[in-house]
Amino acid sequence: MAEEHDIVELREKLARATQLLLFRHHMRPGTKAWELRHALGRDYKQILKLLDAELEKLGLTVKHTSEGEEGSESDRYFVTLRGHPTLTEARTFGWRIDDMGMLTAALAYILSKGGKAPLKEVERMLQEKFPRWRIESTIDRFIRRGYLSEDDEGLLYIGWRARAEVDQKTLLGLLLGKEKPAEERKPEGGEGEAEPSGEVAEEEKA
Amino acid sequence: MPSERQELMLRIIDLCDTVRKRGLDPFDVEVREFFDRLRELLPKLRKHEELYLDIQAVLGLADVVFQQGEWIKHKSSMLYLDPLLIMLKLHALPAKDLAEVLTHSWHPIIDLEALTPHGVKEGLDYWRNLPPLDERWRGLDTTEVLTGEIARRELARMGILSDEDFAAVMDRAWRELKDAAGDGGEISYWDFISERSFEETVVKAWLVSFLVSYGYATLEIKSLEEDITLRPLPKPQRLECVTTSSVPISISREEWLQRRRARG
Repeated sequence: MAEEHDIVELREKLARATQLLLFRHHMRPGTKAWELRHALGRDYKQILKLLDAELEKLGLTVKHTSEGEEGSESDRYFVTLRGHPTLTEARTFGWRIDDMGMLTAALAYILSKGGKAPLKEVERMLQEKFPRWRIESTIDRFIRRGYLSEDDEGLLYIGWRARAEVDQKTLLGLLLGKEKPAEERKPEGGEGEAEPSGEVAEEEKA
Repeated sequence: MPSERQELMLRIIDLCDTVRKRGLDPFDVEVREFFDRLRELLPKLRKHEELYLDIQAVLGLADVVFQQGEWIKHKSSMLYLDPLLIMLKLHALPAKDLAEVLTHSWHPIIDLEALTPHGVKEGLDYWRNLPPLDERWRGLDTTEVLTGEIARRELARMGILSDEDFAAVMDRAWRELKDAAGDGGEISYWDFISERSFEETVVKAWLVSFLVSYGYATLEIKSLEEDITLRPLPKPQRLECVTTSSVPISISREEWLQRRRARG
């Protein structure tokens, strides 16, 4: 009987944890460690482990980020995709290819500079590849959405959302592993110059 | 005029600031040497201002030591990659490849927006306090006033009209430009518009834009020399003969100050 009661309680806690993590109840998504401890009890980490196992079946996972010391009360827990979306799927989330390219470039540049870089430098670097008029507004949007953060001295940092969503090691590894596109490697005047892919061409027209 | 001692401390503070703000290699700073110099200086410091600078310099150097620690941590981490290598990759890859790199390392957060009890209460309160539509559409109580006349001087006092006829102002600016251009028949744009105050400079730039648009002068941009030349025309052209094009020239207070300083 006691065992049955435990199972019911565990199920209730799992449901509560799912609601807390999935429904946004603050400006930012996710839930802080102290809120989870308050709602689920001291063993909230065990509940989250169980929830993670349940979410795995749906292709999701529980992640956490620390803003101060690791394991502090202000740690934030989120539910994220376990895998990664394809480029086409990402476009259906409302992301332009240019914007994704800009975010990759900005994140990689900041990471290579030890986690911070002057905004002006980042803008100058992006100007080599993207139209100037779009850069300022796009960086502003990244800051508003939490992918980047800026301090009073005009330095850009990796934002809370990028820390939660982007696997930084993978990003840098993939970037270094990427080869130059085929048409750039071909000698000048070579046959069969590749057309821009449909997706990028569409982006340019937009 | 800062003394030699103050100058050294100011230099240290500035250097430490640059390391923090620009992300320079903190190991380029000779921390030990600067601390030695500060230690030598300390007994000679008398004024409060000097002591304050000394504190600032010591704090700056302490921050550099902290940055050195962070730098080592970063370099020894898995995330350290030569910035130059990253720059080369960013330069070489097209936007689509960069986007693919992001999507392959991206695990977007899943969250749902939900109406909370507090939100429901706020909505209910708003609905209850909202006046009916016919009340909201009711016109403002106004009294009809008959049109009257207003004197030109009164309009000038209100800043709506200038005391002077605009054509006369243009004519005066044109003559001034011709005088300034002299025999050579041309003058640098910045030399001509530069005035004692920033406000006057902006007004002059505004007038020049009309001189050019209305065919009183021509403007040539020398991109290589980064200079703009103004040439007053001997006679104003007829408006229909003027070829118009738009050239944005921004004037910031900083730039104006810089040019003033450069001109002495």
